[in-house]
Order: sequence, then structure tokens, then C-alpha cells
Amino acid sequence: MTMMPMAPQAALAAGVLGALSLGLMRRPSALALRALAVAAVAGAMLLAVCSAADGYASAIVLSDSKSIGWQYLIYLGALPLALWLDGEDDVLVALFLGATLGMSLLAAASNLPMLFIALEFMSLPAYLLVARSRRGDRALEAAIKYFFAGGVAGALFMLGLSLYYADTRSLAASTALSPLGQAGAGLMAAAALFKLGAFPLNWWLPDAYDAAAPEVSGFLSTAMKSAAVLFLMRLCELAPEAGFSSFLPAVGAITALAGSVMALRQERLQRLFAYSSVANAGLLIIGVGAWAASGRSAEGVSALLFFLGAYAFMSNGTFSFLKFSGLETRTQLKGRGAAMPAAAAAFTVLLFSLGGIPPTGGFMAKLLLLWRAVDAELFWPAAAGAVSALISLAYYLGMTRDLWFEKADESVSFRPDSGAALVVACAVGVVLLGAAPWLMSSLSGALTR
Amino acid sequence: MSAPLTMLWLTPLAGAAACALLGSRARYAALFFSMLFAGLVAGVACGQSAGVLSVINEIGPAWAYGISYRLSADSLSLGLIALTAFLNLICVAASWELEVPAGYWACFLALASALTGVFLARDLFLFYVFWEATLIPMFFIIGLWGSSNRLHAAVKFFLFTFAGSVFMLLALLALVSAHHRVTGVWTWDLAALDASTLGSAAPLVFWGLVLGFAVKIPMFPLHTWLPDAHTEAPAAGSVMLAGVMLKMGVYGLLRVALPLFPTLSFDALPVLGGLAAFSTIYGALCAMAQTDLKRMIAYSSIAHLGFCLLGVLSRTSQGLVGGTLQLINHGLTTGALFLMVGFLYERAHKRGLSDFGDLAARAPCLTFFFGFSTLASVGLPGLNGFVGEFMALSGALAVLPILAFAGVLGVTLAAAYALPAFQAVFWAPAGPGSVSEKVVDLDLRERAVLWTLSLLMLWIGLAPKPWLAYFEPALRGLVR
Repeated sequence: MTMMPMAPQAALAAGVLGALSLGLMRRPSALALRALAVAAVAGAMLLAVCSAADGYASAIVLSDSKSIGWQYLIYLGALPLALWLDGEDDVLVALFLGATLGMSLLAAASNLPMLFIALEFMSLPAYLLVARSRRGDRALEAAIKYFFAGGVAGALFMLGLSLYYADTRSLAASTALSPLGQAGAGLMAAAALFKLGAFPLNWWLPDAYDAAAPEVSGFLSTAMKSAAVLFLMRLCELAPEAGFSSFLPAVGAITALAGSVMALRQERLQRLFAYSSVANAGLLIIGVGAWAASGRSAEGVSALLFFLGAYAFMSNGTFSFLKFSGLETRTQLKGRGAAMPAAAAAFTVLLFSLGGIPPTGGFMAKLLLLWRAVDAELFWPAAAGAVSALISLAYYLGMTRDLWFEKADESVSFRPDSGAALVVACAVGVVLLGAAPWLMSSLSGALTR
Repeated sequence: MSAPLTMLWLTPLAGAAACALLGSRARYAALFFSMLFAGLVAGVACGQSAGVLSVINEIGPAWAYGISYRLSADSLSLGLIALTAFLNLICVAASWELEVPAGYWACFLALASALTGVFLARDLFLFYVFWEATLIPMFFIIGLWGSSNRLHAAVKFFLFTFAGSVFMLLALLALVSAHHRVTGVWTWDLAALDASTLGSAAPLVFWGLVLGFAVKIPMFPLHTWLPDAHTEAPAAGSVMLAGVMLKMGVYGLLRVALPLFPTLSFDALPVLGGLAAFSTIYGALCAMAQTDLKRMIAYSSIAHLGFCLLGVLSRTSQGLVGGTLQLINHGLTTGALFLMVGFLYERAHKRGLSDFGDLAARAPCLTFFFGFSTLASVGLPGLNGFVGEFMALSGALAVLPILAFAGVLGVTLAAAYALPAFQAVFWAPAGPGSVSEKVVDLDLRERAVLWTLSLLMLWIGLAPKPWLAYFEPALRGLVR
């Protein structure tokens, strides 16, 4: 069956319009809004599956195996937020669907101006999502900070784009770049690294993740991260000679180490997971560098896909746990395992997976990514990635210890919300990915063939 | 039964699941599955030594990336699996009266399953997964049911051993990638991999592997996790830690590092053997300085594993076989000692050397078994420790005499910490603050457990020949 090109994006756009129209009613039904959000994201995923077979390429958008693969990841990362969203707020639903649409466009963009438009389309709703998801000054402050960081990234991209155009007189891929064009490509890559939170361009990230509602942070750290990784890969394809293969592994190694070291002493859990997401971004950047260094191999793509897929479960699962348990600091974690055994056990599985302990999906993800780096003879970045995983284990194990081995401080009031099912589902997902990695690898192999 | 090896590691895992589901009756499930597991191991081992099965292989379908399900059991694997099954059963029997939740029993069975997997796996990926999986149940055993400083010890134990294995994993990745580059085949099969494809990176990979194994053994200076973990773990946890988990390191050397790097590993003898010899002396000296009985036994493990290493690294026939037998010996004697300290602690809630005294009059059975195990541990001829240590040292003597000399010094020092400790706790007059009056003698269950262990020690000591002959075929290929 031949699908209309861009059908998934059309579904999301319909969702945005639908949410805004529902908002016009005097009292929009929360259930209807939430159903709309789920239907739009799930529908986009379904349409992406249907359109996977027919390739499509035009001057500004394309639908190739990579684009489809990344769209799956983006929808996978967005689905939990669709389930959790505050259905009372029609604007929030529209913003969420708009940001997802931007990411999806980013996955499909095939030339530079389209990449820029998609980048802004993804970012603008995201700023507002952070500002609106939780009441209070802190959220506003973080959103402003996030906005300025995003503005800098956009400006860098524009500057890079103009330099690139001045050199090549084209908006498509080019192999022969003068230093001017290389500088342009470098600046555009800096914009992507900004979005990923690469060190030292990560200063906005902990504030934004900490101030937003946990489920929004989960969305940002999974769907947004997937989109930014693909963004970086598209730039590597546009300017293959720009030295990305030597530059990215070093940036990734530093980011991975810095993220895990800075997470060590965090007391607030959302902040801790924000830094842990920086460390994971570092691993991803190493992976993109290894992919570029090995001549953009299919194995490199499937390793990145696997990592992002597993990370979608891990990160969304942990942030969902924070959302439903209402726990905010590490001290509050102490001894809570007994109060909610099923959810805490699932959370523990997710922590082990984030720490890269077999047999979990997180282990397979780190293994495949570092293996790509070793295979491309990037030994030092691979070792740095391993050391970063090791450092991160200190706080993942520390949280497990707090949760199960410590005694609860009864003076802290604690009332777990309902809704642990998603945490458990995510934990089952990572165990499946670890025990049966061929599930994902055959899927991603089929997608990137 | 078409897949005996798969059954071997799945049986305790099924037991763990049954324990978790049963809740308050979990101990019966634990006993049943431990006995079933031990019976299965005995069946497979009998079949193998009767020559029906010789080396058993099980090869499953290959997954992506050259990973395949590949199990194999020779006498080395089966010997260590038998030790696992036996000590697991001992642990269940020894903790029978403890008031513990179902998770306790589930953790022990899950641990036995992962350990069995380590000893069976011949696909290096599978080997690594099982290797790491052993950490998870032990982390919870120490953290949930350990003594006062357990929180710190559990995390330290996990982080330290994980740090070693991460570098082991990177080394394995480099090996697999190099093999692919040269031959064009992705494989993690231990038998198919060839380290000569590594070229100049070979030393880096070899030392990466050794780092992973040395942390586990543990070899000086990577041993600092051991005293904390062994001291803080519950008694049965210490038995599994010292009895089986420490053996993983030496097993890894025997199974992976030595066969893959025959020349490099022999060239490294002065360094590795030197560290092993130093470990024996250092462990003994540290043990001498301890005031806590359990901590003393923990340090003595470092010394004992040094002997095993000396024998194995010498790559002579008697050294290899003796070192391997010493792995079993150490599991039995140290297991018995840790159990008895556990029994003491259950009664008196103390385990300092100066907290007791004059126990010989109050608890004659305990005194007998403690003395017996101590003598086995210091290598009294006629008991098991002597056979292993003697053979390991004579192996080392044949290759690098100075190492054997250092080892002999270690043997002497062993008597210098173990016997005074035995004297202080059991024979010396009780000092002020002594809690000896709280100690009642062993009951029937505890005596049965210790009789089993002691008779095995005596058997190996008096008639070591069948034991040595059992291990010899698996080690023949490693003799230099």
C-alpha cells in the first residue's frame, strides 16, 4: 500500500489542531484531550510502520530507513508523556504534540534550511512545555535559561549555515570543503551538541530537567535526545570531510566523564538524572563519532538505534517513577523499597540497566556502542566511556542501597500515587532487550538494511 | 534428558523463582531445589567421569554479532560446579533456622545459577553476562542481611569487581574485533578465537583480561574490597563469596587467559607470580594483625588464593593440578570456618578474638570442628590443605624457586595467625567482658553440616589421588 508521504507528520499536525479546537470549547473533556494525544502519537507510529516500505525523497524532506527508524524512537519516547499529560490543559497537549511534530520533521529533513526549521519547530514548544508543566518561579527561570541556550544554538546553526553556503553555493551534501565550509559545518555541529547537552554546552540542561515536571523531563531526555542524535548524524553526512570522526569521539569522552562525575553529588533526583542524561549523551556522541570514523556503517546506525531504544525505556521509566512516587531527593529514597515493592523493584531494574549491568538492555546498549568505538580503533574514547559507566554505577548502586538497605525516615511524609504500571512496563522492556537483544537488533537490522 | 548443561543452570534459577513466589515457605523450596541441583550435578559428573559423556558440549543457535549459546563441561568446570552445588546446599542447611524473608533464599539460588553459568559458558559473551550476573544477588545478600557496616561493603564490593570486569570486557571486544578484521568472521567462541590476530595490541588485551580476573581472585594490590565484603556478609554469604566467587578469578585465568595467551602469560610469570607470592605473605601478615575473627579469615583467603595462583601460573603438571585442588580445599576449609564464626555470632553477637575464651569447656564440638578446620587451613599433613599447597609450591619451585620460597614463608605465617587465634578463643581463660557464657554447643543440624565438610577434608587429605586424577585431563593442555 502506498502511503501519502509525510503521513505521520500529518497525523501529529492534526493532533495539534485538534487539541487547540477542543480548547475552544467551554469545558474540554480531559479524557478526550488525553485520548487525542495518545491517538496522535500512536497513529503517527502506525503510519510510520506502514510507510516504511516505500522510500520517498524530495528536495526538502525524505523518508529513508534512518528517518523511519528515528521516527519510531521519537514516538516511543513521546508515548509515556502522552499517557501522563495533564488532560485539563489543552495548550499543554498542543505544545507536546507540536514538539513531537518538530522532532519528527527533523527526522525527515533532507536539506539544511529544513533542518533549521525543524530544529526551531521542536525547540519552541519545548521551552513552553518546561515553563508550563509545573507552576512556580523555578520553572519559569529554567525555561528562560533553556530559551536563551536554544537561541544561541539556533544562531550558531544559522551562522554555520551561511558560512557553509558561502563556501559550497549549495544546501545539500558536499565532499570538498574549504576551511570556511568546515568552520560552517563545525558551527552547525555545535548547535546539535548544544541540544544534546555536550560538555561544556550543557549548562542549561540540569536546570531545565530539574524544573520541569518529571514526565516532561523524561520526554526531553528521550525523544529530544533521539532527534538531536539524528541531527548530528545528518550533519556528518552533509560534510563528511569536516573532521567529525576525530572531533566527536573526544567531545563524547569528555561529556561522558563530566556528566557522570557531576551526577555523583546531586541530592535532587531530577537533577541527578539530568546529569546522568548528559553522561549518556556523551556515549551517544562517541557512537556517532565511531559511526563517522568507520565510514558510516550500518552496524554503527543499529548500535545507535539500539542505545536510543533502550534509553527510551530506561529514562522514561525512571522519570515516571519519580512522577508517581513523588520522591524528589535522595534522602527521601531511603527505605522506601518496602513501602512500594513492585514499583521499587522495577525502578531498581531500571537503575541497574542505566548502570550497564547484564542481563539488561542498558548493558547491551553500552556494549554495542563501545564495541563500535573499539572496532573503529577509538580505544581511548571507548575506555573513557567505560570509566564513565563505572562512575555512574556509584550513584545508581547508591540509590539502590538507599532504597532497599537503609531505614525509612518516618518524619518525611510519603504517599505514592497510583500508576506504577508504566514503570513496571519499562522494566520489563529493558529486561527483554537484555535477555533477547535480537528482538531489537533484528528490528533495527530490518530498518537500516 | 537432552540438554543436561542447560538444566544445570536453569534448575537453581527456577528454584529462585519458586522461592520468590512461595513467600513464607520459601526455605522448603530452597532446600528442595538445592538438593535437586546437587543431585543433577552429581549425575552429570558421574556420567562424565564414567566416560559416557567425556566432555559435554551444548551449542545453541547463533545470535547477532557472532554471539552464540555455547556450553561445555570438562572436569574443571564440573569440579567447580560441584563445589558450588555442595556449598549452596551447606548454606541452605546452615541458615535453616534464620528468620529471613523469601528473598534471602532466592538470592542464594540465583547466585548458584549464575556461578554455574560462568563455569559452563564457552562463548565469551555468555561468560561475561554470567560473570556480572553473579554480582547482583551477592550485592543484595551483603546489603540486606549483612552486619553493621553492610551498606558501605555492598557498594564497594560491587564497584570494585565491576571496575575490573569492565576492562575485561573492553579486552574481549578488542579480541573479537581483531579476529573479525583478520578472518572476516564474527565470533565469541572461546575455542575459535585466536589471539595472534591481535598483533601489537596483544599485551594490552592480555593485561585487560588479567585485571578483570585479578580483582576477583583477589591479588594484591586489588584486594581491598575483600575484607569488607567478607566481614560484613552474613555467614552463608561469606561461604559463597570465599568458597566459590573467589575461584572465578583463577578459573578465568585457567579457562580464558592462559589458553589464549600461552606465551604472554608465561612471560608475565615474574610479575604475576611475584604478586601472588607477595599476596600470600601480605595476606598472612594482615590476618595476624586482626582482632576480628571473621576479618582474620577473610585476609587468610587472600593468602590461600596466592598459593593457588602460584601453582597455576607455574604451568607445570603438579602445579596446575595442585592449584586447582587447592581451590576446592579452600572452599571447604574456609567455608567451614566462616560457618562456625557465623554460629558463634548468632549466639553471642560478637566475633572479636578477645570477646571469648575458655570455649573448649563450654562447646567441645565447636572446639573440635574449629580446630580441625584450622589445622586443615594451615596445611597439616593428612588433611586437604597440605596436598594442594605442597603440589602448588613444588610446581612453583620447578619454575622460579624464589616464588616457592616466598610461598613457604606464607605457610609458616599461616600457622602464626591461625593457631594463636584458635587458642585465644577456645583455650585461653575468659577475660573481663567475655561473652563465652552465651555460647551453647552446636546442635545436631550444625554438627551434621560440619561433619560433612570435615569428612571431605579428611578424604582429600588421606586419598588425594582420585581427586588429582579427576582434574588432570582438563588441565593437561595448559602444561608448558
